[in-house]
Amino acid sequence: GHGDGQGSAKSTNDITAYRNVDDIPSRELMIQVDQKNEAVLLPIYGSLVPFHIATIKSVSSQQDGGHSYIRIIFNVPGAGFGPNDMPSQKFPRAIYVKEVSFRSNDTRHSNQVVQLIKTLRRQVAQRESEKAERAT
Amino acid sequence: MADIAAPHQFGNILLGGRGGTNPGQLRINPVGFYWRKIGGGKEVEVPKNEISSLSWTRVPKGYQLGVKLKAGQDVKFNGFREQDMTSLSTYITVNMGIAPEDKPLAISGRNWGDAVLEGNSLAFTVGGKHAFDVSIPDVAQTQMQGKNEVVLEFHVDDTTGANEKDTLMELSFHIPSTNTSYVGDEEHP
Repeated sequence: GHGDGQGSAKSTNDITAYRNVDDIPSRELMIQVDQKNEAVLLPIYGSLVPFHIATIKSVSSQQDGGHSYIRIIFNVPGAGFGPNDMPSQKFPRAIYVKEVSFRSNDTRHSNQVVQLIKTLRRQVAQRESEKAERAT
Repeated sequence: MADIAAPHQFGNILLGGRGGTNPGQLRINPVGFYWRKIGGGKEVEVPKNEISSLSWTRVPKGYQLGVKLKAGQDVKFNGFREQDMTSLSTYITVNMGIAPEDKPLAISGRNWGDAVLEGNSLAFTVGGKHAFDVSIPDVAQTQMQGKNEVVLEFHVDDTTGANEKDTLMELSFHIPSTNTSYVGDEEHP
């Protein structure tokens, strides 16, 4: 799992949500938050796609009629990743998922996942900044 | 001894799509695949001669069979067990003359990789492994935002899986200026 070796919250070296497919806790096709592995699972075309919490820059939700909309913005070069450890330096040809938005028909569920993602982001950022402080 | 060409039938196979998955019955025989939604309403028939390739992907709690069509679409059947995969691989190889390939899933959770257009689907790979793909015919509109962002907006109307909670509406890619190729580059599989 996680632990030592991680420099800062935005370090790209250690962004590894799962090592084995079996570690993904569920196959239910809806947005889910895996606190243990610090990942958000997104249902994209019938598959559950993991994104490590460190790739997520922000999340928000919005109500419109009977639906709620969830928008997740990811870190991309130029914003979010630390200057010395940008994946763009290591992977200059890479393309990034920058933003996804979902329409949800369950407001309670969408509010809950947005809250969970925010909390997990905060926890991980706090832990990493404490770790960085101790290291100095 | 059972007939080697006798059809294989599975009672609960999920057909994947943008809105999620639908449960149905899948019948596989030497001439192709036939899937029918439980309770009716949707059918998918894939004749053998329209198949360009087949793949197995290990997914959470099971296996997914990917059927790539020569016309470009990608049909995904979920819900196979390991023993199904083993016996079906042999059956398909013997009876259809197509050997399913292994297509590992990207599970690192990284948001950077490669976007490859293959026929009608745009696949996103991370570290050479498959992360997800989207179907181009479902894209209502594409937009450039600034010089580096491509936004795909999907059709609102979705009849394939209205039972699902969360439906993908929009997806955007950031293409750094350091990337000299373009998301629309054609790469032949």
